[in-house]
Amino acid sequence: MKNVIEVKNLTKKYGSLEAVKNISFEVQQGEIFGLLGENGAGKTTTLEMIEGLRKPTSGQINVLGKDAYRELNQIKEKIGVQLQSSAYFDDLKLREILELFGSFYRMSLYPSSLLKMVNLQDKANSTIKNLSGGQRQRFSIVAALVNDPQIVFLDEPTTGLDPIARRNLWDIIAKIKKQGKTIILTTHYMEEAENLCDRVAIMDKGEIVAIDKPHKLVESLDNPFKVEFVLQENNPALLENIMRLCNARECDIKTLPGKTAHYEIKLQSQQSLNSALDLVQKEKPESIKVGSATLEDAFIGLTGKSIQDEENGNG
Amino acid sequence: MGKLLWANLKMLFRGRQALFWALFFPVMFTVIFGFFFGNQNSNLGTIGFVNQSDSEIAQNLDKTLSESKILELKKEDNLDVAKAMLKKNEIGAIIQIPKDFGKNTPSSSKEIILISDPSNTQTNLGIQGFLQNFTTQLNFQLQNAKPIYSVKVESTADPRLNYFDFVLVGILGLALMNSSVQGIAITMAKYREDKILKRITTTPLKSWKFVIAQVLSRLVVNILQITIILLIGVYGFNAHVHNLGTIIPLALLGGVLFQSIGFAIASASKTTDAAQGLSVVATIPMMFLAGVFFPTDLLPKWLANIVQYLPLAPLLRMIRQAGLESASILTNPKNMIIVVAWIIVALTISMLRFRLSDE
Repeated sequence: MKNVIEVKNLTKKYGSLEAVKNISFEVQQGEIFGLLGENGAGKTTTLEMIEGLRKPTSGQINVLGKDAYRELNQIKEKIGVQLQSSAYFDDLKLREILELFGSFYRMSLYPSSLLKMVNLQDKANSTIKNLSGGQRQRFSIVAALVNDPQIVFLDEPTTGLDPIARRNLWDIIAKIKKQGKTIILTTHYMEEAENLCDRVAIMDKGEIVAIDKPHKLVESLDNPFKVEFVLQENNPALLENIMRLCNARECDIKTLPGKTAHYEIKLQSQQSLNSALDLVQKEKPESIKVGSATLEDAFIGLTGKSIQDEENGNG
Repeated sequence: MGKLLWANLKMLFRGRQALFWALFFPVMFTVIFGFFFGNQNSNLGTIGFVNQSDSEIAQNLDKTLSESKILELKKEDNLDVAKAMLKKNEIGAIIQIPKDFGKNTPSSSKEIILISDPSNTQTNLGIQGFLQNFTTQLNFQLQNAKPIYSVKVESTADPRLNYFDFVLVGILGLALMNSSVQGIAITMAKYREDKILKRITTTPLKSWKFVIAQVLSRLVVNILQITIILLIGVYGFNAHVHNLGTIIPLALLGGVLFQSIGFAIASASKTTDAAQGLSVVATIPMMFLAGVFFPTDLLPKWLANIVQYLPLAPLLRMIRQAGLESASILTNPKNMIIVVAWIIVALTISMLRFRLSDE
């Protein structure tokens, strides 16, 4: 696969604060590449340096074979950018905004076909303020496609959307990928990255701590198997039994917050999973869920925290 | 850039609030000042005339006043009735000619009495002058003398000029200032807050094209403002404005001046609210001090000395010189120098600090 973006030793400093620390990665043609991390991890700064909006303190960025600093204008013709929570002109109709942005490029697509792609053809003559949150986000994505770009940058495209609107947007992003475009997106929804991204880079405090296919990241965890169960009441004896059974080192057992007697065990092997299941079954649990670890588990394993912690202000 | 210019114009005309400030506000000012001070032709209004004498001289005065175009005469026999009318402001003053005035008897009255309301300064001065003149002529005639010395009045301005003409140019400048400073400052700050400017920098559009399209679209609004204000002033209220060929380019120079100030304000303010506040701080003092409604000569000298350098003041002086006094704008090149200096200062601040993106 050809690399369409190459980032080498990229660093961005704001005074003494190092927002991005010497990161390197490549994005391959036609893939959906995800930058994952909590707020402030450096995702947006990285993205905006590649887009030419911010000047790197040091390092090289190469986009479509061109230097992102010296040949920025040629790059701009071939990329489409959706910014995090950016607005468009209040007093222009959707069709007019797309026509206007199209006029900034040498080549542009028809507004009608663009709007049709995101199911907004009926809103061609509406203004932004008459759209719902999901519709706005769909519009802001399609506005990044006016120049039929080879690479599309989406900065937290689904933040703040309800689950249905989010899934709706995933379909659109998948559709863009099918057209052969490369997509690089940032998100802090693990489920989103797991569902959409061919590869993800996990960022923490300005550094890339891991970069791989989502399932590979999950498989590389120490304890990739997972059992989650709810008992009638707390049962420390059972937990001790399970611990003894699978040699503490090989399993990670914890009481989940919220519901009473809600537990999660992460295990190293299929064998210890089976033994643990036997023990739990004997206690007649109210519910039991068996599965593999998720990208979120991988994220927690790699960064030592969950994104939820961060959002609750505990991180 | 044509599409961008067209889109800007559409937005300017769809943004009703901004359009209100740009057009209806100055139109309202023009109409209100027009009703108060327009259509004047230096008319002194209606004057009560109580003639109690039947002498030839009294009849002559009656005839001269009646034929005069500078005032309207309301004849009344009873002085008390006339005084009551004066109190009710139905007339501006009373000219009373006492009984026997002008008769050649020793006891006859020698004075014409002017009863006036001290608040009607303009009327009082006009009528006093008129009566003084009349009595002087009369004195000469009776003494068979001819006047040797006299005063010849020459004016640099159109003698028909009145306060409305002065204030009309003021309103023109005010409209240009308010719509351009606030329009640019608030719009640009909002575009930045909404990340529209940042979004535009991700496209190949050159920033200078974006700025030029903004300026040009607003100059179209400026032309509309100038046209509407002058049309209403001249055709609705008989304003005397000349040299449109000079004052329209001058007004557009003013548009550029205030837009540059708008860009400078936008570059200095972090939020839309800050931009709004700063524009008000910049424009309100000029609105009242820089000669929109009152000549700056009326200010204390130290204040007038400062005020003459504010951007609006030299612009108004130039437009008044060209439009009202039919003088060349180069009569006083200082005005042009101040305006150009302000444009350079504002543009320098904008170029140093105004960025479409964060960096």
